[in-house]
Amino acid sequence: MIECRSVAKRFGETTVVESIDLDVPAGELLVLVGASGSGKTTTLKMLNRLIEPSEGEIRIAGRDIRDSEAHELRRGIGYGAQRAGLFPHMDVARNIGVTPRLLGWDPARIADRVDHLLEQVQLDPTIYRARAIEALSGGEQQRVSLARALAAEPAVLLLDEPFAALDPVTRDALQQALLALRTELGLTIVFVTHDMGEALLLGDRIAFLEAGRIARIGTPAELLADPGNERVDEFLRAPRRQASRIERLSGDSS
Amino acid sequence: MTSAWQEQLAELPRYLAGHVQLTLLALAIGLIVSLPLGVLATRKPRLESAVLGTASVLQTIPGLALLALMVPLLGVLGATLKGWGLPSPPSIGFLPAVLALALYSVLPMLRNTVTGIRQVDLALVEAARGVGMSPREVLLQVEIPLALPTIVAGVRTATVWVVGTATLATPVGGTSLGNPIFAGLQTRNLSAVLIGSLAAAGLALALDGLVRTAEIGLVRRQRGRVIGAVVALAAIGITALVVGTNPGSRGQEGTSREVVVGAKAFTEQYILSEILGRLVEGEPGYGVRPMPSLGSTVAFDGLATGDLDLYVDYSGTVWATIFGEDTTALDRSEVLAEVGRRLREEHGVHLLAALGFENTYCLAVRGTDAERGPWSKISDLVSAAPGLEIMGDFEFFERAEWQALEAAYGFDFAGERAMDSSLMYQALRTGEGDVISAYSTDGRIEAYGLTVLEDDRRVIPPYDAIVLASDAFVRDSPGLAERIRGLSGRIDAAAMRRMNAQVDLEGATPASVAREWMAECGQGCAGSTR
Repeated sequence: MIECRSVAKRFGETTVVESIDLDVPAGELLVLVGASGSGKTTTLKMLNRLIEPSEGEIRIAGRDIRDSEAHELRRGIGYGAQRAGLFPHMDVARNIGVTPRLLGWDPARIADRVDHLLEQVQLDPTIYRARAIEALSGGEQQRVSLARALAAEPAVLLLDEPFAALDPVTRDALQQALLALRTELGLTIVFVTHDMGEALLLGDRIAFLEAGRIARIGTPAELLADPGNERVDEFLRAPRRQASRIERLSGDSS
Repeated sequence: MTSAWQEQLAELPRYLAGHVQLTLLALAIGLIVSLPLGVLATRKPRLESAVLGTASVLQTIPGLALLALMVPLLGVLGATLKGWGLPSPPSIGFLPAVLALALYSVLPMLRNTVTGIRQVDLALVEAARGVGMSPREVLLQVEIPLALPTIVAGVRTATVWVVGTATLATPVGGTSLGNPIFAGLQTRNLSAVLIGSLAAAGLALALDGLVRTAEIGLVRRQRGRVIGAVVALAAIGITALVVGTNPGSRGQEGTSREVVVGAKAFTEQYILSEILGRLVEGEPGYGVRPMPSLGSTVAFDGLATGDLDLYVDYSGTVWATIFGEDTTALDRSEVLAEVGRRLREEHGVHLLAALGFENTYCLAVRGTDAERGPWSKISDLVSAAPGLEIMGDFEFFERAEWQALEAAYGFDFAGERAMDSSLMYQALRTGEGDVISAYSTDGRIEAYGLTVLEDDRRVIPPYDAIVLASDAFVRDSPGLAERIRGLSGRIDAAAMRRMNAQVDLEGATPASVAREWMAECGQGCAGSTR
């Protein structure tokens, strides 16, 4: 579904991403993990041309992403970010309907779509449809942001640390909601996070980025079995320790 | 005699309508310029400093100067256009005023547009791009809506500035609430000053309040409020247009030719322009558009370009200021003849009548000082000058006459102070200065016991009051021009001084004094004694 060939990004002298090759098959949820400055967000934003690659080629569904105007490309790709990026001068329904409006959908169809999406992200349309953005909690904002990303029925979804600022309970609920949605809709998803725990929970595969390169790529099980890299191992240590501690405590109490 | 209050209140709708037209049109032009320019500045950072810098510089030019600069600027533009065979714009009146005010309104609106767009959260701009908005859609659907409260705040600032500054449109011939203020200051008619000022303040509050209502509506996203405020603003604008289809005009319905009668900003000019106005109105089918309180060169420029039809000037002023000639030792009748010839030949302006009196600049001192001096001639002052302060009107110290006086007598005063001519006499009387540049026909010379010093070296040229007319007026209205020629020699210095004193000292209005004079002059000015 998504193919990257020798993709690189340089800002002047600084190289942020250095030669990435990546294939994401249709229906896969790929997680990009790495420390700050590893190039994961830049890689994600190159996929919908929020950042233009300096080198290389990216194809989505077989088409070079440079074939169409950047904004037209983006209308076909769902996008959500850490700070939900909802427009404060529009209510919830107008925020969710923004891409369908740009595509010129019929207003009745948009209204139906908005209600349907609100239900999918588990918000009651009758309550939330006309809500102001400033009246939403952080978790509700992320749900609306997710609904907005899905509004124009994209096949591909790009998510940039969408749950990073949420409390653990809310984050867990949203992670489950996302997993349910991807199965239901058959989405291809690229998901950026710096949290290896989240990557292990969500990803079909995990690509570990370091200094603008993919240092290790594989399924969660493969990574756990063989980190293959000192830094990957370091990133895996915390979730491992958490898991074994929880297991031990649960075992003690049973 | 009509009460000053009544007379002013009757004219108020005309001034107010002119003021509203100037203000709203200037703001509209300013907004149309500022918005796109502000948006462009945020797209092209290099443009931003240039654009904001230019606007800031414009803002530092005093309002009156900016308005006055528009007149020669439009004059040059008009001459160029004429050279290409195109119609030329009027250089005085509504146009220069509205252009200067529009320029004046640009800075606050431009700055707030730039600031408003700059302070939009970059994460939101990226989100907007992320959901598929084109650069244009990002601007129109996200950046401008979010910047709107800031932009509207800029519009409010501009509104208050423009309403205030529009009072300064009067000296360049734009009808505004400045008319009663300027004329009232000159003729000691405080009710006029008060009415003009209060109306301007009220207008500023009203317009600001409406824009503020729109602003609140935008912030709270209440469409009704915004629409209400915009409708009210439009209603004010339309009312101003209807009330003053021609806010400068005071003619009756069905006039076929409107004659623009100018006056400079002092009492005698207001009285004489009223007399000219009455003569014009006495002619069937003719209407008058008064253009009072003009700057001296503004009036002459207007006449030369045909934007003004009639006004009274003085032979010496034309000689020195317009021709730039040396002013010493001139013969009164020679100057008059020469001025008439050269005006016609070099400027296409007609000298219709010399009214029969001179109003010269003269140096006056307190009568008591003159006795003690003793001073009777200007040369007597020279030795005492280093201990004396001289006061003049705003023009005086810039004029050729003053330079000629300084050169001929070689005096060196302790201080020079320019002030409004109406305040100068009072200041001398109460001992604030020692010498003033008085006007020889001013009624206050006698009333305040001042002594006029003789110009013994004959430096100051003769200042015959002369009625000047534009070429178009003389061509279109030969009968009326003939009637005005009939004013030749009909007002002597004593009569003029008396009329000035009635306004300056007895509280009469220029209109009522003019009416009285017309009534007395009887058959000599036939058709004008309605």
